[in-house]
Amino acid sequence: MTTATAEMKENTEANSKWLDAHYDPVANLYTFSPCITLADLQGDGENKLVVGDLGTGVCNMKLKVYRGTSLMSENTLLDLPTGLVSFLMDQHEPRTPAIAVASGPFIYIYKNLRPYFKFTLPTLDVNPLEQEVWSQAKEDMIDLMSLKEMLEGIRDKAEIPLSVRSLKFLMLDPQEMEAFVNVHKQQPIRRQTVITCVGTLKKNMADEDAVSCLVIGTESMDVYILDPEAFTILCKMSLPSVPTLMDVTGQFDVEFRITVACRNGNIYILRRDSPRPKYCIELTSHPVGLVRVGKNVVVGCAQETLQGYTQKGKKLWTAYLPAPVTAMGLMDHHTRGFQAVLVGLANCEVHMYREKNLVSIIKTPDVVTSICFGRYGREDGTLIMTTKGGGLMVKILKRTAVFEDRDTAPGPPLAQSIRLNVPKKTKLYVDQTMRERENAVAMHRAFQMDLSRLRLAVARAYVKALESSLTPMSASLTEPLKMNAVVQGLGPSFKLTLNIQNTAACRPVMNLAVSFLYDETLYSMKNAFFKIPLLVPGLNYPIDTFVECLTDKGISDIIKVFVLREGKSAPLLTAHINMPVSEGLALT
Amino acid sequence: MEVPMDPLFLAWSYFRRRKFQKCSELCSKILEDSPYDQETDTPSVISEAAWSLKTRTLTEMVYIDEVDVDQEGIAEMMLDESSIAQVARPGTSLRLPGTSQGGGPTPAVRPMTQSGRPITGFVRPSTQSGRPGTMEQAIKTPRTAHTARPVTSASGRFVRLGTASMLTNPEGPFINLSRLNLAKYAQKPNLSKTLFEYIFHHENDVKNALDLAALATEHAQFKDWWWKVQLGKCYYRLGLLREAEKQFRSALNHQEIVDTYLYLAKVYQRLDQPITALNLFKQGLDHFPGEVTLLTGIARIHEEMNNITSATEYYKDVLKQDNTHVEAIACIGSNHFYTDQPEIALRFYRRLLQMGVYNCQLYNNLGLCCFYAQQYDMTLSSFERALSLVANDEELADVWYNLGHVAVGIGDLGLAYQCFKLALANNNDHAEAYNNLAVLELRKGRIEQAKAFLQTASSLAPHMYEPHFNFSTLSDTVGDLQSSYMAAQKSEDAFPEHVDTQQILKNLRQHFAVL
Repeated sequence: MTTATAEMKENTEANSKWLDAHYDPVANLYTFSPCITLADLQGDGENKLVVGDLGTGVCNMKLKVYRGTSLMSENTLLDLPTGLVSFLMDQHEPRTPAIAVASGPFIYIYKNLRPYFKFTLPTLDVNPLEQEVWSQAKEDMIDLMSLKEMLEGIRDKAEIPLSVRSLKFLMLDPQEMEAFVNVHKQQPIRRQTVITCVGTLKKNMADEDAVSCLVIGTESMDVYILDPEAFTILCKMSLPSVPTLMDVTGQFDVEFRITVACRNGNIYILRRDSPRPKYCIELTSHPVGLVRVGKNVVVGCAQETLQGYTQKGKKLWTAYLPAPVTAMGLMDHHTRGFQAVLVGLANCEVHMYREKNLVSIIKTPDVVTSICFGRYGREDGTLIMTTKGGGLMVKILKRTAVFEDRDTAPGPPLAQSIRLNVPKKTKLYVDQTMRERENAVAMHRAFQMDLSRLRLAVARAYVKALESSLTPMSASLTEPLKMNAVVQGLGPSFKLTLNIQNTAACRPVMNLAVSFLYDETLYSMKNAFFKIPLLVPGLNYPIDTFVECLTDKGISDIIKVFVLREGKSAPLLTAHINMPVSEGLALT
Repeated sequence: MEVPMDPLFLAWSYFRRRKFQKCSELCSKILEDSPYDQETDTPSVISEAAWSLKTRTLTEMVYIDEVDVDQEGIAEMMLDESSIAQVARPGTSLRLPGTSQGGGPTPAVRPMTQSGRPITGFVRPSTQSGRPGTMEQAIKTPRTAHTARPVTSASGRFVRLGTASMLTNPEGPFINLSRLNLAKYAQKPNLSKTLFEYIFHHENDVKNALDLAALATEHAQFKDWWWKVQLGKCYYRLGLLREAEKQFRSALNHQEIVDTYLYLAKVYQRLDQPITALNLFKQGLDHFPGEVTLLTGIARIHEEMNNITSATEYYKDVLKQDNTHVEAIACIGSNHFYTDQPEIALRFYRRLLQMGVYNCQLYNNLGLCCFYAQQYDMTLSSFERALSLVANDEELADVWYNLGHVAVGIGDLGLAYQCFKLALANNNDHAEAYNNLAVLELRKGRIEQAKAFLQTASSLAPHMYEPHFNFSTLSDTVGDLQSSYMAAQKSEDAFPEHVDTQQILKNLRQHFAVL
């Protein structure tokens, strides 16, 4: 009862802040935070939701636009989107933003939801050796095997990695190689990189509706800034690792900062006029989410922590989360001047942090994979979330909602005040200890005598078991084996599975055979003696055989299994299988 | 001169002295002299009596109390169509025992059976192996001759009993059921009841029994509670639980009988409605205050629902009524043993001994209780006696296993090693022994062997958390973090509250997250 009321209280608390505007658990929307944005695409003052849908990851990639609760348009994408931003390209009226979708080495620009332009990343240098090898292949001066060997050599040693074509070639089976070379040898080799993240940067004005440049992070560890109108590269910067998450602030012509979380677990901060990173934050674990709040950077780490840093990379605080982070987003409410970080967690909760204080928790019906807060339709404080199961959730911040700055994390755990149930020592126990104290010597002697007798009895039984190899594991040093048997089936035919394992450290065991001993009036077996293959140490060898039960009288018996060594009459080990009673009747 | 006794009287006397074989032979002789023709309308009174007596004799030979014998078969469990809510509310279902609600000991202290219930002090049909999770597990569980779970409860034990009685009568069955005119017999109340029991228990032909019962209850104008109970029994056997419930309820309206309450409670337990069954038992106790079988029924349900404390309360109530109730004494004793009061458990087991229970298991328990209550002088002699009373290999394995524990307790690891190995030699499927042996091997530094044993233990008994946890720590020390994590997860499934597992999982997660 107490938990139920507590839960209800929590629910009402969350309800007092958010209105449930829309929840469609089967919206079929699979995406993550970089691929979701809000933009006024038609210039009618109503913001639409633009989503790069990942589909199944192989097909059904779509660019979807939602208006209100319904799907407004759908464009098919050729490849998986890795990022999606909306930005203003030019000063023309009406001021409708364009959508840029990054996928593979391309950026597709959509205007008015129609394809407008395709930008391709510059190709990278090709290894001259590789070039040489392929040109030889083109003139049929090299056979396939040596081509393969040369390419493998380049792959292992050279500084410039191989092109996709060569890598694909090395993966092929020998019989497929020739066809592959014949198809591709005529084309020139190209090496292309792919886009990992994308962001926008205002060109020369800080206004809301100013023209913005695109900022692109690539797999080749570079960051490019593109001109918004001509799509030429304005600036190129390189990083020590591959960027995965990006946040951009400032103006290109004045001063800017690009905060990039990289695959090596470091966060780099790039500034204007320096082709190399200015500051570096070394994290203790991989970053999974990056949000900038004002001048600070908040990073969600794989270690289930949330960490705050200054612009210059000084650590401010760490908050510990109850579950791994699945999504992060910034909640920036302009009209109220309220900023917070929304963190979606794997335990179906979304936590709202203001600095290091947890100010609110939203419970969701599924794990949230992307979070976007902003103006949707005509409503300023709208929170949009998509879930792991493909659901779409829209919540609206109530006008009356107040967030206290105090930390709502609970105080000392309840368990502290629970008393442990330690049973009391009974009077009987006290009496027995008295007896023990008084007769200590006699008890000790009796015990010691019994113990020696027991040791003798155990040793006798043990020797007997060893001599007749009754145990299911062998004690010999040369063939340390272990066996257990499982019976399956309802009868009259049963399947016996013998799991044999060589428990030696590194020596294989050979020349073994298995034989069975059973009552021939009750059971029949096709082959009651067979050899077993070489046993590699550490692996479990399941060996199946079938037994037919011959009786319908509801009687069962034991079947003995022996593992034998060639040339030795005594078995190495024995297992007894208690056969189940046959439930079915044998066909006669 | 010897005056021969009236043969029918002699047969009756044999019957009362439970010399069924002789009674049956004598009846056969009487029937040979004056055959009781099933077709004629006016048979003699003597032959009719002899015929009736013989049916009773044959029934008594194979009679098992219907109240106690019940084991759900594989088919009933796995192919259950009537289950509606897969996840029942905690405390309302027998299928999902959940974690101990009554504040009983954790699995770290009291071992679990496969069904996720603590081990009980008294083996009953339903405590043997519990409900397997998957079909494969159901078929794979060691279905040996004494722990076998039948395929369905309609076949299984009853068919076996039926065939066993066929074996004793090589010339064929005593009554040819197919030639029987059931309608005629249903009109003779003095014959029909014995005939019904014969068909139900001896021939195990539920369909004909049901026909006879239906005709007879019609003849009694639906006013005889006995026939209604029999109808209910037939329906229960056929799996028509709701019909059975109706019959038993109607029988209770005619006459309050303890047996009817027990049958009805059985129906509710099969329907997985333990709370209704408990209410029914309490209702029964209003009419029959202090009835031992009803109290035991309540205690059993509490025990199956993992509410050990209230189960123990009810077992104590049972003992107040009947202080020689073996099940109650054994259950209270084992509860005391597992709640860290072995000296009291010792008292209870000694009481059993005084009552004349004299078997291997009891001495086994006595030995363990003595050891943990620090009465060392009697420990080993109890085990010695247990060894001498062993009836089969499995009991022997259990004694060796417990001796291994004692050896671990006194620090003689060599002896412990030998004992665990002997346990395995006698019972190849002793997962606990495999686990302990693995720990000993690990102490000797033989990692490969330890690994193999732990894998075997966890495949033999996936419900035990110990092998998974040990495998996890072993892999962790070797550096195989992935296997360690997987094993730790299995351990967590088996015992979610285990602190050490949680600790190792936490460490591993940290390992995986750190750069």
